[in-house]
Amino acid sequence: MSGRENEAKILILATEDCAYPGANAVGQAHMSYPENTYILRVRAPVMFPERFYLDCFEKGIYGIIIASCGVECPYEGAYEALASRIDKVYGMMKERGLDTRRLRLTGICTVCTRAFVKEVNQMNELVTELGPPGTEKKAA
Amino acid sequence: MVDEKRDQVTAPGPKVGVYVCHCGGNISDHVDVEKVCEDAKGIPGVVTVKNNMFMCSDPGQQLIMEDLKNGTIDRVVVASCAPSLHESTFRSAISRAGGNPYTYEHANIREQVSWVHHGEGATEKATRLVAAAVGKARELHPLEPFRVDAKRHATVIGGGVAGLRAAKDLADRGIQVVLIEKSPFLGGWTAHWDRLSPTEDDVSELIPELCRQVLDDPAVEVHTCSQVISFEGFIGNFRLGFRKEPPAEGAYAEEIERMKQSGADTGDFIPHVGVCPEPLPEASEEQTVETGVVVLATGFRPYTPRKGEYGYGEIKEVITLPDLIRIIAENRRAGGGQLLQVNGRKIRAMAMIHCVGSRQIPGIHEETEGRPLNQYCSRVCCGATLHAANLIRETHPGTRIFDFYRDIRTYGRGQEEVYEKASDNKVLFFRFEAQDPPEVSGNAGEGDFPVSVKVKDTLTFGEEIETKVDLVVLAVGMEPNDVSDLVEMMKLPVGADRFLLEVHPKLRPVELSVSGVLVAGTSQAPFDVGETCAAASAAAVKASAVLARGGFVELDPFIAEIDMGKCKGTGACVEACIVDGALRMVEMDLDGEKVLRPEVVPALCQGCGACTAVCPENAINVSGWTLKQYEKMVEMIVSEKLAA
Repeated sequence: MSGRENEAKILILATEDCAYPGANAVGQAHMSYPENTYILRVRAPVMFPERFYLDCFEKGIYGIIIASCGVECPYEGAYEALASRIDKVYGMMKERGLDTRRLRLTGICTVCTRAFVKEVNQMNELVTELGPPGTEKKAA
Repeated sequence: MVDEKRDQVTAPGPKVGVYVCHCGGNISDHVDVEKVCEDAKGIPGVVTVKNNMFMCSDPGQQLIMEDLKNGTIDRVVVASCAPSLHESTFRSAISRAGGNPYTYEHANIREQVSWVHHGEGATEKATRLVAAAVGKARELHPLEPFRVDAKRHATVIGGGVAGLRAAKDLADRGIQVVLIEKSPFLGGWTAHWDRLSPTEDDVSELIPELCRQVLDDPAVEVHTCSQVISFEGFIGNFRLGFRKEPPAEGAYAEEIERMKQSGADTGDFIPHVGVCPEPLPEASEEQTVETGVVVLATGFRPYTPRKGEYGYGEIKEVITLPDLIRIIAENRRAGGGQLLQVNGRKIRAMAMIHCVGSRQIPGIHEETEGRPLNQYCSRVCCGATLHAANLIRETHPGTRIFDFYRDIRTYGRGQEEVYEKASDNKVLFFRFEAQDPPEVSGNAGEGDFPVSVKVKDTLTFGEEIETKVDLVVLAVGMEPNDVSDLVEMMKLPVGADRFLLEVHPKLRPVELSVSGVLVAGTSQAPFDVGETCAAASAAAVKASAVLARGGFVELDPFIAEIDMGKCKGTGACVEACIVDGALRMVEMDLDGEKVLRPEVVPALCQGCGACTAVCPENAINVSGWTLKQYEKMVEMIVSEKLAA
């Protein structure tokens, strides 16, 4: 892997009840995915304010996958609050000229190994194409 | 000595020790552990870096404990397997060394690095994950766990051998038990069998005995025709809802018909069906139990061959091993005879084929939609197949048996003797390679044997051999029962083989990652009846250990905490809180002024952090999972100083 590829860092916020064990299941199955991915275990991604995401892009994170429990969220009402916050973040990203596809909200279950790998690969292809955050050409 | 060491550490702030595990090569085969350690020394806040072949071993834990005891460190980062396996191990080591167990952070460099990345980048990623963990560890503070009352009550899901055994063992420890079984019968698949290999135990004695023990125990409440419909709460305090309802149209039709024909009363054993402990319900009814622990004993089902697999479903003389076991028992009850009979048809010669639905190989075996390949060995079928062959040869000496196998795995006490006995009983063996399976074809109108089995026999160096037979028996493997509803509801971990996955195969073999939920028997892996009982008793012991600790459980204190120095009293957190009453505004005295400030109600707060996101001052955070900790982790991940 060249240094450049590893620059395109992808942050994965993975819920401890669903997506984080799901990512472990990917490891247990010895499947493979790109190395520029950093998984952080979270209780519920609803805890992150809008600015956390914007700061991440500012710090040089190329893409963020929020791997949540989706509608299986153990905290009733948290997923809905998260989804509406992410909508707000999308608006703020547009204002800053950031491609909104850099931030993806998805649900990954404890056994969703293929879905996990697919999400990671898609995000990796996207950020490879887009380059560093803030450099994307204005969409026509 | 000790004081000297303390003097050496002059850096202010937390002193982080980093411990990197080789995992016996699982990590170090793909991650350069020495390089990770070397680079970790440069991470701000790190005062010592060590590595060990197995950090979870006693010597590994000792490294951490010594550094804590002599004051070298006060924060711990271990880089090893998934935290679900050993986070609790290392937290406990810290406690034993007199430290606070919450001054710990885990870097997952096995499941999320060495098992998924194999290039150079694996080492750099591991280093960055260690750095992120250090970034968080520097922001960690000592915390105290909560104590919560635990319900002295257990729920067992599944009424097969594992569920019955676990229920009885729990009741013997003085714990109230509810046993929930989805079918109308107790006894599970074991009740369908006959004599068990290798000990010849008779199922028609074993199952009624076990059922009687459970049904006669006043501490156990049994509900058949019942399915779990809801699950919430936490260890010591689960609420589990179930629905009891008449069997769906056509469900268990054959078993219910057999029960009617047998004239058996409730509580009686019905051969190849089980014990029906209570009349079938006439209406649907829902109940909720408050329970402290849950034992999952949801069992297995025999593999159903695909249509056309060795002629199954196309040639009527092709049956499965469970079919054969019933036929053997029926023949014996009918008085035996020179030849085994199937529906009045005399079996002069029969073929048995091993590894059907087990040890499937991608590329050789076909994966069909919704049916992934079973790549594992089902373990018990070799013994059961050869045991059935012996029963036939000994009771019906005229019936010849041809055995087609890939490998014979008669593992376990007394099983090898079964294999030898089959040889003595003149069972004739043929061995095939996975890519050259036996060909089974119908011989309509050709000779007087209805089926022929052709194989390239590797025991005779690849000779093509054709046998004519009256019956073909497929030794089908074991698959986990479909419990996707429970997996979803209870967030259960499932392995690549689709069986439930324990926390650790050796050290915590009957615990699941959901605290307070245990696994017993063949929902975990293929087991024989003896192994199933051992696993069930183990699960019962683990469950009672939770409930016997003096009526309480200790929970991680991961709930919201307010920094009153920062709080301006906007009330945004109270508005954002998703649990009624977990956060409320109260009047308090601040610098001689009466002000409104939020207050956390610990018993209600779930620790989701919905409040954290909306606080303009970041004055409210979930203990142990603060926003600042995440910001530090991200900073370390992008840090240019770490670039290789």
